[in-house]
Amino acid sequence: MSTFLSIDHVHQVFDLPGGGQYIALKDVSLDIRPGEFISLIGHSGCGKSTLLNLLAGLAQPTSGGIILEGRQVTEPGPDRMVVFQNYSLLPWRTVRQNIALAVDAVMKQIPKAKRRAIIEDSIDLVGLRAAVDKFPHEISGGMKQRVAIARGLALRPKLLLLDEPFGALDALTRGNLQEQLMRICQESGVTAVMVTHDVDEALLLSDRVVMLTNGPAAEIGQILEVDFPRPRQRLAMMESPHYYDLRNELINFLQQQRRARRSRAKAPAAAPVVAQGTRTVSLGYLPGNDCAPLAIAQELGYFRDADLEVSLKRCYSWDEIEQDLRVGRLDGALMMATQPLALTLGLNGERPLPMTVPMTVSRNGGAIAFARRYLDQGIRSLTDLKAYQEASGQILRLGVPDTLSIPALLLRYWLASAGIDPSHDVELVAMSPYDLVDALAHGMLDGFAAGEMRVALAVQAGQAYVMATDLDIWPGHPEKVLGLPEDFVNANPATVADLSAALLRAGEFCDDPRNREAIIAILGRPEYLGEAAGAALQRYFDFGTGEAPSQLLRFNQFHVDQANYPNPLEGTWLLTQLCRWGFTPLPKNRQELLARVYRRDLYEQAIAQVGFPPLAPGRRGFRLFDRVEFNPDQPLDYLQSLAIKAPIQVAAVPLTPAA
Amino acid sequence: MTATLRRRSRRPALLGNPALKPYLPYLVCIPTFLVIWQIFSGLLGSRLPGPFQVIIETWTPYISQPFYDDGGTSKGLGLQILISLKRVALGYSLAAVVGILVGGLLGMSRFLGKGLDPVIQVLRTVPPLAWLPISLTVFEQADSAAIFVIFITAIWPIIINTAVGINQIPEDYTNVSRVLKLSKRDYIVNILIPATVPYVFTGLRIAVGLAWLAIVAAEMLKADGGIGFFIWDAYNAGGDTSTSQIILAIIYVGMVGLGLDRFVAWIGRQVSPTGR
Repeated sequence: MSTFLSIDHVHQVFDLPGGGQYIALKDVSLDIRPGEFISLIGHSGCGKSTLLNLLAGLAQPTSGGIILEGRQVTEPGPDRMVVFQNYSLLPWRTVRQNIALAVDAVMKQIPKAKRRAIIEDSIDLVGLRAAVDKFPHEISGGMKQRVAIARGLALRPKLLLLDEPFGALDALTRGNLQEQLMRICQESGVTAVMVTHDVDEALLLSDRVVMLTNGPAAEIGQILEVDFPRPRQRLAMMESPHYYDLRNELINFLQQQRRARRSRAKAPAAAPVVAQGTRTVSLGYLPGNDCAPLAIAQELGYFRDADLEVSLKRCYSWDEIEQDLRVGRLDGALMMATQPLALTLGLNGERPLPMTVPMTVSRNGGAIAFARRYLDQGIRSLTDLKAYQEASGQILRLGVPDTLSIPALLLRYWLASAGIDPSHDVELVAMSPYDLVDALAHGMLDGFAAGEMRVALAVQAGQAYVMATDLDIWPGHPEKVLGLPEDFVNANPATVADLSAALLRAGEFCDDPRNREAIIAILGRPEYLGEAAGAALQRYFDFGTGEAPSQLLRFNQFHVDQANYPNPLEGTWLLTQLCRWGFTPLPKNRQELLARVYRRDLYEQAIAQVGFPPLAPGRRGFRLFDRVEFNPDQPLDYLQSLAIKAPIQVAAVPLTPAA
Repeated sequence: MTATLRRRSRRPALLGNPALKPYLPYLVCIPTFLVIWQIFSGLLGSRLPGPFQVIIETWTPYISQPFYDDGGTSKGLGLQILISLKRVALGYSLAAVVGILVGGLLGMSRFLGKGLDPVIQVLRTVPPLAWLPISLTVFEQADSAAIFVIFITAIWPIIINTAVGINQIPEDYTNVSRVLKLSKRDYIVNILIPATVPYVFTGLRIAVGLAWLAIVAAEMLKADGGIGFFIWDAYNAGGDTSTSQIILAIIYVGMVGLGLDRFVAWIGRQVSPTGR
């Protein structure tokens, strides 16, 4: 894909008269191909026009840049013609004179006769021959807009920018002009970016529709690919059922944004609770090597530094954590990355409990282990496993810490990629992680997927060997997150930010190899992992296959590579997998759901408190080990493309109204 | 058909005439005004002549011979007005030229516009006559002093309106010029001037009224000749018909002022770009 115009991490902040700041655009990145037609859509105040002005060079971004054909845009210029919302024709000049002013000013080097010809051509292009000597106030709004478009195109710009060009016109005129614009753009091959409110207009004209979230701090919420062939016929398009899929997608997005705005307006203005003295927070966790940041923050006093009194509760199962959260015994927990979504949606059959994720705590760190007897049969890879399973017809019993856990989803994905249907060809058994090793040892399981510590213990006991680690399936996947009920977060936003900040510091400590001994010492205390800490945190990972233990880089990731970013795009992938196996319909209102769960604002607050650079990963799709592209904007297409799946359902999921 | 005829015939012939209808308010109100004037005149006796008395007493020579010239300051009202108009023409033209230039400068330079604003706001409220003493001291001559007073009175609205006009150029137009990268000259000729002309003429119209206001006052205090001088001269003469002369002059002053205002407005319409 050749990039013609690149919007690169653009932030736009305006100073307010009162001394404050208004963040209009936050980290907007987009690459535009030559000849592409892009629509920007979103509710008013979402910064669409701000972005267009930046592209035009009429304003400069606060940070980030706009690159047109390899050169940064620093000022307006005729290679980026703007068709303004209110036409911007000079009232004292006739139609022809308005166009002539532009042509004469910009194409000075061209002989006069040629310029005349260009002017007359562009008048004919928009069919304004009859009105050529009229003044703007003598012609209709639609004609004025045609003059503005003719003026823009006469200059042969590289980029045509249209700011709600047809907003003020009646429906009939609008329809005609849309078709004319479509034809003209196609004939001239111009690249165009259009701001619009009109869903059908965006679909008809665009190759891609970029949806912006509500301001302040608007960002790209979703990008919709409109894959209808050109030339397009409005009626033919509207007869296609696919058109309505796309249209629904757009409308859904806009409705979710509207609801989000309403709930934001209703939310109590910044809780009046001022941080006074020591606040107490109780957090739950399950022992595992990824609880290291929690232990470090506690034992090295990072929590105390922030005047937080944190009581850690070691739990036996994920279910216990969920129950404790429901009854308020816990204020939050170090939980599996799937859990906040599952709780918010109420997937485990209980009342939905809206959860909030201010940060990701750990990435990677899991593995799939099989009982040693399979190694003796020479099963060393997924391919071997598939062959064995087909040959023997055996239904393997595989343990997972929880039906909806990350290890379970990764295991399912891994199996399905080899053509093993995890819902039929194997039996998945959910049990407390404490019991996995024993169950394997007693032959109740043929294998299990779990965190490194369980796997290491099983390998150490000579019971198991490792068939795959997370690095082989989805390197850098979110594993544990800090999850807190939404009610608690809304009541104590400052506490949550302080809590996250302390965990961010601890994460940095944990990712520094020099601190290894200190971490083992702390985790080795009986209240954390006890003696298992040595096995869990071994420098070399023993696969139990007889080969020399190898060193795995970043097997547990607590800090580097923006590891702590609560990324809603990863949440989208998790949702697709929950949907793939029939745990939930794909939520139509997923943007709303993700925006409520993944609280990047709290993360940014915490990042700022610690003084880490406010970097965020781009909103690109990603691929797992099987190289199937995941485009977070087209989750349904992604699901449809997967061979093994439960029947896919799409539905709006009920979300409890924001408090 | 017959019905409409009958209905029309019931109305008085004069007021029912459709050609007269637009003038009806004048035909009713102006005579009423004159009647009230006459009534007040009757109440005040000889101190305030009534409308007919004014015409009778000033017919010769003031109305019948507007351009007589007996030498010295004894001239017909037409000539007196011409003298005043000449002064106004000089002072006002000067104010227009300087005012538009200064206003343009203040409008285009944010720095100057902001810095000089307090000065302009203070000076523009000074009444015309307050300038006269200082003007006489500087110019030492009644005629130049009067012209200067016109100038200094008329210039403020021109400056202010020109500057405002430039500041008020719609952002759309400046954006167009930025996108097209118009040269400074092209911008001034094609956008700045056409967009500002209506504001400038608003200023010029206010200014001409003020100028006429100022000249009458200045001439009353210190001048030889001019309509203001005539009024003051008639008052000082204290003759039987003095009051009538003063009233006649006042009417002339008013009509000339109205004429000037309309004249500037008409020029403004001729010069203003179409499409406003």
